Amino acid sequence: MKIVCKKKLQQIGLVMFLASPILLPAETYLTPEQFTQSVFASTTTKSDTFWVTKQVASQAEQILGHAPKQLRIKFWKNGLQTAWILNEIGKEEPITAGFVVENSKIVQASILAYLESRGGEVRHANFLKQYQGVGLRQDSQMNKTIDGISGATLSVRAMGRMARLALFYDQISRVEAK
Amino acid sequence: MKILTATKAKTKKLNKILSKKSIYLAIATGLFAGNAAAATLEEKIELLQQEIESLKDQVQSAKPNNASGGISGLANRTTIGGYGEVNYNNYSGGSTAKDKIDARRFVLYVGNKFNDMVSLRSEIELEHAIASAGDEGEIEMEQLYLDFHFTDKINSKVGLFLIPAGFLNETHEPTTYFGVERNQIETRIIPTTWREAGIAIYGEVMPALKYQVGISSGFSARKYDDPLVGIRSAHQEGSLADAEDLSLHAALNYTGINGLLVGASVFTGNTGQSEPGIGNERLTIWDAHARYQTGKFDLRALYARGHLNNAAEINNATGRTDAPSAFYGWFAEAAYHVWKSGEMDFAPFIRYEKYDTQARIPFNSVRVNSSKNKVWTVGANFWATPQVVLKADYQVYDEKDEDLFENRGDKRFNLGMGYMF
Repeated sequence: MKIVCKKKLQQIGLVMFLASPILLPAETYLTPEQFTQSVFASTTTKSDTFWVTKQVASQAEQILGHAPKQLRIKFWKNGLQTAWILNEIGKEEPITAGFVVENSKIVQASILAYLESRGGEVRHANFLKQYQGVGLRQDSQMNKTIDGISGATLSVRAMGRMARLALFYDQISRVEAK
Repeated sequence: MKILTATKAKTKKLNKILSKKSIYLAIATGLFAGNAAAATLEEKIELLQQEIESLKDQVQSAKPNNASGGISGLANRTTIGGYGEVNYNNYSGGSTAKDKIDARRFVLYVGNKFNDMVSLRSEIELEHAIASAGDEGEIEMEQLYLDFHFTDKINSKVGLFLIPAGFLNETHEPTTYFGVERNQIETRIIPTTWREAGIAIYGEVMPALKYQVGISSGFSARKYDDPLVGIRSAHQEGSLADAEDLSLHAALNYTGINGLLVGASVFTGNTGQSEPGIGNERLTIWDAHARYQTGKFDLRALYARGHLNNAAEINNATGRTDAPSAFYGWFAEAAYHVWKSGEMDFAPFIRYEKYDTQARIPFNSVRVNSSKNKVWTVGANFWATPQVVLKADYQVYDEKDEDLFENRGDKRFNLGMGYMF
């Protein structure tokens, strides 16, 4: 009985081992085009460029805890709404998230790409919904507490940094537009 | 001849005039064309921007192919991280043990992404600052596995990896839990830091419901030698592990409600490893856990239990008189984030734990002191940044916390620092 059981376990292990590298390649969630099309019904919404000047960069650094990597950011503007696609590293891999801001508040948060091996719960709709209506306080923190996800702390923090940055860039882009 | 010379001169003049005219014409045409079709300065900048964006995209997509080796590719492919903690323990309440300061753990994480699908994850740990024949310190591989990322539903890991039991085993950096020391249940009932070598499949059954199933090395009953840590002393840690008997594990975790985690795990396998005198001593360890983080509250509870068949045989084979047939423990913890400013965060907490590492014993085992205990812990974590924590707590044990070597009394004051990056 023991020998039969042991053989079965070894066989299962062997099948799992051999099957592991021949499964399907990684999934993608949303391309930037799909994200903007989902946000703006009009297909004619053109992208604009946001310039991260020295002054903006130093404030962005306070939000991110590191210097922003991009000095020129493509964003989309349609009436009162702006849409931003940003990247931050969770633990090892970049998380790409899209934020739509209207009246200085987030109206939509989406995950476009997530490559980390743990913490992928940030992709789920119930987590992302929490960002709706979130604005920026004067100290550049979010004005609402986002409930965390056990085991996904670093991804949740990365999302928080990106949400704050999108709100901050939205503010600056409106000042510049005036 | 004169006529010929005059004609040549005329022709030259005409040519000169024509060539001048054609130059003017060309310039005029060029200017006209320029005004009509060429870009304004803004348009030119926009065109250049588009070109730069397109080049950036090309560079990004070319990275995996270019990053095949050498230092130049290292920055793109390799991640270095780590965590560590230094703790102070002050024992009182009938203690005979000396107070201790200990560089408990220094862990270096090195990951390498070979391509979008295959990564290496490794962690090497130095415990107690010095590892030599005359010291208690150890150098250990905490993790060493290849991760194959396929889809959200199915991924796999092959190598030495952490068993997904409880809260702390997979996420054990000091910044992620309350208290200077790891809780007793996830130390004595669920071994810490518990890793096995094998293969596992993991992913999401559906959004917010994660699973892992795997087959791996297991425990070796022959190595059992400490009744105060359940069966932990018999784990093999992937070090020339006997693989005569393999073990199975499974875990499910649900995070479908904001802030909530509910999960359970089970690990089962024979521990005989074909040792003489030891038969099919099946060990099963399972746990159920829940955590709820809402607003400023952070609440956790966990129950874990282990069963070991034929513990009497293990006593016979190892010459011991204390192997347990069953062991269990549970804890409940509440923390409140009382103050936050920027990245700083201060949260006091309270925890109650109850455990019995010899909840059931065979006829040839005897109970040892403090295998059954209750512990109250009150204290606070202060995060200077989310990655740096200072901790202080006070613990009261129901019975003196003794092991085979020392008596640490029934009261304890602890201080600690920890970090991760």
